[in-house]
Parts: sequence; C-alpha cells; structure tokens
Amino acid sequence: MIVVELRKMFRRPRTWATIGVLNALPVLVALLLVLTDLAPRAGEGPPFLSAVLRNGALYPLAALAIVLPLFLPIAVAVVAGDSIAGEAQAGTLRYLLARPAGRTRLLVAKLVAVLAFVVVTVVVVAGVGYVLGSTLFDAQPVGGTSVSGTSLTSAELTGRTVLAIGYVAVSMLGVAAFALFFSTLTDSPLGATMGALAVLVASSLLFTLDAASPIAPYLPTRYWLAFVDLFRDPIQWRDITRGLALQGVYVGVLLAAAWANFTTKDVTS
Amino acid sequence: MRARGHGAARRWAAVGVLIAALLALPAVIRTLPASDADVPAAELRARALASESLGFSGYAVSAGSLALPITDQLSSVADLFSDRTTMRVWWRGATDNRVDVVTPAGETGTHTGSGATWTWEYESATATRAAANPLELPAPPDLLPSSLGRRLLSEASADELSRLGARRVAGRDALGLRLSPAAEAASVSRVDVWVDAETGLPLQVEVVEKGAARAAMDTRFLDLDLAVPAPEVTAFTPPPSARIREGREAEVVLEAGRRIRPVELPAELAGLPRRRLDGVPSGIGLYGSGVTLLAVAPVPHGLANGLRSALSQSPDAVVDELGTRVAAGPVALMVVEPPNRGPYVLTGTVTLDALAAAATQLPDLVGGP
Repeated sequence: MIVVELRKMFRRPRTWATIGVLNALPVLVALLLVLTDLAPRAGEGPPFLSAVLRNGALYPLAALAIVLPLFLPIAVAVVAGDSIAGEAQAGTLRYLLARPAGRTRLLVAKLVAVLAFVVVTVVVVAGVGYVLGSTLFDAQPVGGTSVSGTSLTSAELTGRTVLAIGYVAVSMLGVAAFALFFSTLTDSPLGATMGALAVLVASSLLFTLDAASPIAPYLPTRYWLAFVDLFRDPIQWRDITRGLALQGVYVGVLLAAAWANFTTKDVTS
Repeated sequence: MRARGHGAARRWAAVGVLIAALLALPAVIRTLPASDADVPAAELRARALASESLGFSGYAVSAGSLALPITDQLSSVADLFSDRTTMRVWWRGATDNRVDVVTPAGETGTHTGSGATWTWEYESATATRAAANPLELPAPPDLLPSSLGRRLLSEASADELSRLGARRVAGRDALGLRLSPAAEAASVSRVDVWVDAETGLPLQVEVVEKGAARAAMDTRFLDLDLAVPAPEVTAFTPPPSARIREGREAEVVLEAGRRIRPVELPAELAGLPRRRLDGVPSGIGLYGSGVTLLAVAPVPHGLANGLRSALSQSPDAVVDELGTRVAAGPVALMVVEPPNRGPYVLTGTVTLDALAAAATQLPDLVGGP
C-alpha cells in the first residue's frame, strides 16, 4: 500500500508543479541579487542571504531560509491536507477502505507518502540553491566561515548543510501531521490545509509576543530556524535537539488523534 | 454500532492520557525539589566570590525591563538592559573566556584574553580588537549570572545578607542568598543570588527595585557544564574574509571624561560617601557602594540638552526647579542645569528623592552649599 501511495504521489503532475512553484522564489531572489549586487544588510532578511555574495556555497541554506517561513509549510499543508480529505471529496475513500489492508495501514501509507514529499521537496530546494549558488555567485571551494567566525573546511560545510536539510525536513513533519489530522476530520482538503496554516500563523504570531513566552517552547514553529545553530562553532545542539523532540511530540500526538478518529469514522464517500 | 462507539471512546481516551502526560511533564520537572544546605550567608557569599577561576561552559539568558532613556550612541548598552539576551559561555578564567550573544540568524562573540579582547560580529563579518581598559562600557559578558552575581555581592556587608531556601537552576541545586541594601538612598529593594551548592558559582541573579513585585533584571543559566573548556574554544583568530578594526569605544569614554570641566564635588551626596575607582576620570564623582551607587558629572550644554529632551519624553519624568529626572526601573537619571551655570548629569541606582537631595548639595546650585 505504501508503494502504491508513493507512486500515486509522485506521478501526479500537481506534486511536481508544487515543487516547481516553490523553487520560483529562490530563483527570483538569486537573479535579483546577481543583477543588482545588493544583498540584504547584515542582520536583515533570511539567514545566510546577506553572505551569499561573499560565498555562493551558502545559497542552498539561504534558499531553504527563504521558503521556510511560508511557502514550504503551505506546500506541505496542501499535500498533507489532501491525503485523506482529497480521497473523500473525490469519492474514492470508501473504495480504498474496501481493500483488506485496513484503515491504520492506509493512514500509515498516506503519512509515508507525505514524508517522502517533504524530503524530496526540501532536497530539491537545496539542490536548486546549490546550482544557483555555484553558477551565479562566487563559491569558495575551500570552505567558508562559521557563524562564530571560525573557518570551516569544504567537507565540514557540506556535512553541516546535509544536516540542515534533514533538520528542515523534520521541522515540516509537524505541519504535515496537523494537516493529516485535519484531513481525517473533514471531507474538504481546503479546510484541512487552511486549518494547518491557521495553526502555523497563530504559532508564528504568538512567538513574537513577550506575553506568550511561557508557552513559546511548545509552539510548533519555535525551533524552525535552529538549523542556523549547525553553523556555529561549536555546534549549538540545544535548540536542535529540542526542535527534533518537539516535532516528534506533535507528530506522535496528532497521528494518534488521527488514528483514533479515522479508524472509527463513518466513511460515506 | 455500539462496539464502534466503545472503540472510539477507548482510542480517544488513550490519546487524552498521552496529551495529559505530555502537558504535565514540564510542570512535574519544575517541581522537582532542590536540596538545601545549612550554609551561612557570609560563607555562601565568600564561596560565590571565590568562584571566578572555576572553569565551565553553559547557556544563559538575561531579561531586563529597564528602558534607559539614553542617546543613540549607547543603544547597544540600552538594549542589554531592556531586552532578552541569549548567551553561550566558555569560561577558563577571568582573562581567558568567550561569551557569544546568540541571535536567530547570527551572533556576536566576545573572546577575552590577557590584555586584549576580540569581538566577532557575524552579520558584518567584522573582528574588533580592543585593549583591556579599567573603564569599560557594559557588555554582554557582564550580564552572565556568574559575573553579575560576584559583582553585586562583592561589596555587600554581612548585615545586608540573609539566606533564602534552595531551588533548581540549570538542573542543579542552588542555594539562595538575599542582599537587601542598607542605604536609605537605595532604589534596589533586594538582589537574590542563587549559588550552586557544590561549586559556589552564581547560577541566577534577580534584581528587584523598591515597590516592585517582579525583577527588573533576571539572568540565569539554563544549561551548565562544569568541565573546563578547551583553550582552542576561547581563542580567536580572525577568519581570512573578516574586516579587522581596532576598538575605540573605551578611548572615547576616557576622552569624554578628560573634557569634563573641573568642579570640586562634595565628599558626600544624598548620604552616600564619595569613593575612588581606577580608571574613572577625576571630573566624575562616584558615591556609594555595593548596589547603591551614584555618579555625578559636569557635562557640556549640548549633551545636557539632548539628555534632558530624552528624559522629558518619558511619561514618568519629573520636571521641577531642580531639573529633569526619571527612573527606569532601579536606575535613575537627572539633568540639573542652574541658571548661568554649567549643567550636571546624575545617575545611579538610587531613588528619585535621593537624586533630588543630591542635586541640592551640588556646588554652584541654587540652594546648595
């Protein structure tokens, strides 16, 4: 069933259209930077973007930082929100459940397909960023400078970039879990997507309020930018481990809720 | 249908139990009891002061609510006392340490060595070297609980100290030590320093002003590792792409001090005796001790006008025949400008009443001696 869902996911033109649209913004930003030679001032704009004119090897990270706050979660929410509710809206859910595989296995298969989408999307954004960074900017083949001012070899920079790609992918799992849970509650994929995005907007808003600081460590978006900590020297693991654990908790709780709802739900469409 | 209803109830109950357990976990961890120890206040202070050479690394957060009404040139100093500052620290000793102020997308690292300090700013890729100076502007390393705690306790007398209980800070047992300033002019009601029971390292410092329930400044470790960090972590070599510059801030402060017009200041102001500190220009009068300090400086008219304008914009500003004064938490500022005389600036951790009393005792002032 998992293979079926994966095949279905990646044979859909709209999956690749979503990934393509997602890469449009980093491409546009790279072209504008090259044409104008105007990087954001130090401390402004997405992380690493102000440094890409000095070292294009950082553009994969800048590209991820560009799409991370809004476009990447929207894409993940659209795909995950469609997973169950889309089948219900199309009238194919009851046929899927007529197979002997069971609802839990269907839920797991949908989850794996969404996870695969997240990983592929993040890797493609980073890959496009690498191509842009190495062709449009001056990449430093010997490595680069860490956020802490120490020198990083090319191997260290590559290794930390791979870890950052993995961390960003994991950070999106919470979004996927919210959308997947909402997708089991409604027959409207749009409703499930909007529900997940509402949670993210609320989380981002609360994170900016001092009054909300007691609950800040539990907000799903709290540790999204912690991938920057991989480029400090020594690496600051504190927020990274907390970010991974928090996503794990959200995924675990929301999948449990999705399972509790979906396995006993009356499916009529 | 009934069987399905029971199944749903069981499943949702399991999910509810899981959520309740996860929600309760932080509260349970917070309520873990700390073990107290029968250590007298004076001994605990001595142990805290002796902890300067202790090696450690950690992660600390300071939160200040002091909206200091000062000019743009000192905005970084104002931010230190009004914002939340997140720091990583590697401490091998007072002359071999590193403190990084961490922001979501960058950092500013201060590497202190013997005789000089390197400051690395990632956002501007700038490395600044500054020679050690006895008179320095406040910097992030000064906000570390260990440094601030030792500084505030350094001049406390035995009758100002008392013991509190114990609490958990950074996962360690911390013994409470309360400093209640004895001076009547003091604007600080109390300073609570939570000292590591095992090593004497101050782990948390809370500064509370008179009449306030919440701390105006709270700095604490969130993580602490008592292993001595490796020397290569605290050392700094500017990266090849960095812009290198020499730090001049301390010289600017000293030059401003040298330009202060010479005035014979009294031996006592607002009940606080005058004191001398190394590096302080002779034109600046320092009074008090411990956490009750008052500084007085005759200043140029331009500086006084700018400061008075900034102070008077505060809704809490007091403007009368003595001058313009305002309190930002426990820190009070006042601009005094008598007719046909040069102006003064008074500032310190004293009450507004103490500032007013000091203003009447300054030379060349109406009502003064």
